[in-house]
Amino acid sequence: MGEHGHHTILGFDRYAFNFWVLMIFTAIEVVAVALTFSMEGTVSMNTVVFILVAVGVVKGVGIAAIFMHLQGDPDSRVLTATALFPVFFIVIMVLFIGLTHPDAADTLPDWCRPGFYNLE
Amino acid sequence: MSYDSHHGDHHDHPSPFGPHDWSHGAPHNSWAPIMMAFGSSIFLLGFTKVFTQTWEGDAWSYAINSAQFGLLIAGLAIFTAGLYVFWRQDWSFDGIEFEPKSVGTPFRGIDIRKVAIWMFLMSEMMVFSSLFSTYLRYRTGIDNCEALHAAGTLTDGTVCWLPASYFIAEGGWHQETAHAALKFMPDTLIPGAINTFALIVSSYTIVLALKTAKDRSLSDSERNRKVGKYLLTTLLLATLFLIFKLVEWFVGFELGDHDHPLFYSPSLLADGFTIHASDYTYQVCNEWHDHHCAEGQLETYTIDIRMAASTFYVTTGTHGVHVFGGMVALVYMVIKAYRGGYTPDNAVSIEYFGLYWHFVDLVWVLVFPAFYLY
Amino acid sequence: MFSTLKKPQNIGIIAILLLAVVMAPSVTSYPHGASGVQDSGCACHGSQADGVTPVLDGLPNELTPSMTYTLNISFTGGPSGEDPNAAALGGFHLWVSEGSLSPIDGDDKVKINPDGSATHNGIDGEDVGTGNDQTSWQVEWTAPAEGGAKFTLHVNSVNGDGIASDLDDWNRLNAEVGPQPVEQASGLTVFASSILLMITIVGGCVVWVFYRENPDSFSWDYFVPWLSDWLTTTDHKKVGTLYFLSGFFFLGVGGLFALIFRIQLATPGNDFLTQDEYNQFFTMHGTTMIFLAAMPMIAGFANWIVPLQIGAHDLALPRMNALAFWLNPAAALLIFTGIFSGQGADVGWTGYAPYIVSHTAHSGATLWVAGQILLVASSTIAGINFMTTFCTMRAPGMGWMQMPLFSWSILVATLMLFISIPAFGIGLIQVLLDRTIGTVFYEVAAGGDPLLWSHLFWYFGHPEVYVVVLPAFGVISEVLSTSARRTVFGYKSMVFALAGIGVLGFIVYGHHMFTSGMSPVLRFVTMLTTMLVAVPTGIKIFNWLQTMHGGSLVYRTHTLWALGFLVTFTLGGISGMYFPAVAMDLHLHETYFVVAHFHYVFVGGIIFGLYSGIYYWYPKATGRMLNEKLGVMHFMVGFISYNLVFWPMHRLGIQGMPRRQHTYFITTDQYFALPAEAADWNMMITIAAFFFAASNLILVYNIVVSALRGQKAPNDPWGGWSMEWLTTSPPPTPSHDPHNLPVLQFEEEHDDGDPGLFGRWIQWMMIAEDGGEEE
Repeated sequence: MGEHGHHTILGFDRYAFNFWVLMIFTAIEVVAVALTFSMEGTVSMNTVVFILVAVGVVKGVGIAAIFMHLQGDPDSRVLTATALFPVFFIVIMVLFIGLTHPDAADTLPDWCRPGFYNLE
Repeated sequence: MSYDSHHGDHHDHPSPFGPHDWSHGAPHNSWAPIMMAFGSSIFLLGFTKVFTQTWEGDAWSYAINSAQFGLLIAGLAIFTAGLYVFWRQDWSFDGIEFEPKSVGTPFRGIDIRKVAIWMFLMSEMMVFSSLFSTYLRYRTGIDNCEALHAAGTLTDGTVCWLPASYFIAEGGWHQETAHAALKFMPDTLIPGAINTFALIVSSYTIVLALKTAKDRSLSDSERNRKVGKYLLTTLLLATLFLIFKLVEWFVGFELGDHDHPLFYSPSLLADGFTIHASDYTYQVCNEWHDHHCAEGQLETYTIDIRMAASTFYVTTGTHGVHVFGGMVALVYMVIKAYRGGYTPDNAVSIEYFGLYWHFVDLVWVLVFPAFYLY
Repeated sequence: MFSTLKKPQNIGIIAILLLAVVMAPSVTSYPHGASGVQDSGCACHGSQADGVTPVLDGLPNELTPSMTYTLNISFTGGPSGEDPNAAALGGFHLWVSEGSLSPIDGDDKVKINPDGSATHNGIDGEDVGTGNDQTSWQVEWTAPAEGGAKFTLHVNSVNGDGIASDLDDWNRLNAEVGPQPVEQASGLTVFASSILLMITIVGGCVVWVFYRENPDSFSWDYFVPWLSDWLTTTDHKKVGTLYFLSGFFFLGVGGLFALIFRIQLATPGNDFLTQDEYNQFFTMHGTTMIFLAAMPMIAGFANWIVPLQIGAHDLALPRMNALAFWLNPAAALLIFTGIFSGQGADVGWTGYAPYIVSHTAHSGATLWVAGQILLVASSTIAGINFMTTFCTMRAPGMGWMQMPLFSWSILVATLMLFISIPAFGIGLIQVLLDRTIGTVFYEVAAGGDPLLWSHLFWYFGHPEVYVVVLPAFGVISEVLSTSARRTVFGYKSMVFALAGIGVLGFIVYGHHMFTSGMSPVLRFVTMLTTMLVAVPTGIKIFNWLQTMHGGSLVYRTHTLWALGFLVTFTLGGISGMYFPAVAMDLHLHETYFVVAHFHYVFVGGIIFGLYSGIYYWYPKATGRMLNEKLGVMHFMVGFISYNLVFWPMHRLGIQGMPRRQHTYFITTDQYFALPAEAADWNMMITIAAFFFAASNLILVYNIVVSALRGQKAPNDPWGGWSMEWLTTSPPPTPSHDPHNLPVLQFEEEHDDGDPGLFGRWIQWMMIAEDGGEEE
């Protein structure tokens, strides 16, 4: 693992560096939410959501790249490809299952609903 | 229909109960699979008999049928015995004689076990994607209670979404009445926040365990002690995580005087955020006076928030079960580490467990904002 | 005796036995078969005492059908009656097997329970002057339209202290009226006898197989080691055999279900099965055939052939492989449990919400769901195992584009399976929790969306269709190229077609839900993608035709099945093209046309493909040739009767015969018209179904007899050239020598040797060949 000259980031041990980055970003996450509590009205919910997403991405990349060795090891490239393999299927799932609405049942005209037999 | 002669054709008479002689390759026989399979079958049978619901003509009533705990426990016991056999066979694994490597495109030169762990993580990604799709569908499909109230369309009996963060992070009704020992955040958020940090620290300790196990400059005894120490820390942090989760769900906690507590964090159960909350009492105050609702400004609705609770408990619960699974593995690893099982030649087991553990952490990175904060 | 205790495993076994004793009291047949309520009496009211005499008056000597009788219930004796001012005097509980009980108008002393039994009104300990404060009650009973009834009466004689305590007594009275049906065994008896019978039969077979293996040196001493070797084996060939045995067994079980409900459907308005039984039977038919017959048989093939074919000595994770197998019978136990008590799952193999979480669904559905969860676990584990094997253990020289097509098909199938099945697993867990602890994922009253279940199910369910059919494609590719004595035409396009199906398979599933009120945008998208699937499938069909065209075909039994597959699968594919067109689908939805379509692809595609594979690889697996005459007979009877079963269903479907319905009527009603010929077609289908079932017995007979007396098979009886034919028949263990793996000789067979852009990208990602070792 560490024997290939990738132990450090900016002169810090890469694990320790990543650890502190994660800790700090988690703190940002919690504080962002706490602000909506303690200073109601100063931070809009949209800002909070934006911060949460951004922090989530940073933390996710940090954990995957450094703790899970998807960066810097000889096998990192191929394993990154493996890890990203399900992305297509996840996108399909989130789009089709998570974000579709059964609005057809509400917005269809009467004549295309079940039970409409007024054929004359 | 094999026509092998039916006895004693192995040179090494491997024991199907372990420990296994890994210099002859992987085990040929094991009692673990059949025990684990039927154990889980009996466990599920017990589960459906312990947790029962009956139809009362117009609604379900729920009961925990404690007379049937025997089945549940027996299933778990058989499964655990199977797992014990499995690990007993693994016990002698030292990574020297038998660590098959991949050949060919694209994983050439990588341990087969590592590839397998990544395959496993792929399916785990799909598991949590399914849960998140469920969450997204319901979160976007069901109206938010607060939004409905703001629009003036909230009535008694409305089915709407009151997110867990209403109880945990923002305070909601508790906004004005919530206790905030740290001034800037409600006490109810503290267990979840601590848990988040606990998982990150445990992710760090597991990489330190790996790093130490690979460190050839340490003496054997020192390395064993340090690896064991890091793994044990990871185990303790995981335990802390689950305990805090249960506290947050069911127990809640309170420090200091009951009337003027230093720290007061009621459980979600006590707040009425349960999967059976079909008649949750939702209170809105239009005007606050010194942390009390002004006369005549309190509106009270009885609403159905079961769906928000179901998604919250099942998603975070699934994550909790993964943490628990990691803890079971960690117990084995801690014992093996103190017995000197992890050497620079056999440190990769820690790495493979670590991959799973980091994945669980990664999922929490998504679960925490989606369920606790937003 | 005690010396054996020194072995830890024996202590473990004893511990398990002790646990079994502990849990035995709670093992009553699930869920309603022997609930024990009627047997155990009112446990809260002390003990059964002879001193209490229950009386049930008012039953007639001659029963008039559908007449209403007033029954007088009373008791004498026991601790009650000594104090007229006591808080309570007694109670009763009356069950009746037929007819219905109701309180007399204006009588508040009696109430009817949800299960139809009658009991006294009032609350323990409260002297409210109602039902509890009596020693006699009246209740009305309406006799059934035909037949008699059985009564069970419990009475409590309470001492009036207001507490249900040991000081009270109770007693029971059984009564009968009218003609009694043949005595029926209790659910527990049926359950226990079936289990015993199964154990006896299976045990007998096992002992017989053990004897036959080595009749000359038969000795019981070897039996336990031999048996435990099979139970604990992790060898891919033995696990494959176990998969096959369980797959065949459940193919028979699923077939029996089908035959039984075909009898029901043979004539219009039939009542051979009740509606309740019919629902359970078609549910269990679907579930059994897909999950317990097709999947294990495919897994059996994959287990047997894949390591041999790619030149690996075993699978990557042998113990996981065994676990994946053993989860199958463990799951089957759960899935079938409800059937034994008459409360089997009645939800269809799709288990649609919200019915599956409603109180009207049978309680056996809970365990059906639990069993499916174990199958999901099994498939996930098997998927991980096979993916790892393919990715890491191909023999030296075997690149992706040198892998035989059967291996490719299993690769794509397992990939689709283990990517898609978590969605199903999560859906099942949600349903299980809905049905046990009371979450509300599919509870419509709480905002639950039944469509979510359909989405999760079909996100898995449609890839699952390809998961079962792709291995059949693989078998056909192997069989046809060997039989035509040439390499398969268009190998690369075959691989890309497989991969194309694998990707497209995930974005078409919406076509199962066109009538469900799904998002219109999604309907449009899945309509297009579904039509697109015909392209890779068509490529495969034409490649097979071209393979035969350019080769010189040898007609063996497996070739015949492959040709039969081509015919039936193409027909099934063509009828499938009616469904992606939304308008057409709305018309044909839920008719027999759908049944015809998916049986043409499932039976004509998968089962024919697997039969072809059985005839093809049986000599490799057992070292004996199958009898070709019996094989041809099997094919002729099977192919003809199969088409007689399923072809008329197209016509029935267009005529308007609905699927999943207990019966049908010949009628000219405007919306449900069904012409008279429909009855004749149904009768023909039923008769042909029996022939089709019988044709399978020829195969079973052939397999058994050939295993005993078949001609010895050479290593490569058909002239195949993939790596499984390099080994002896049957293959040794380990299948290929791990220290001397076979090397693919003609590496450049399908490859021009110059990596393209994609190939170079893969090369860039990989660990460099020289210094690649970690550490």
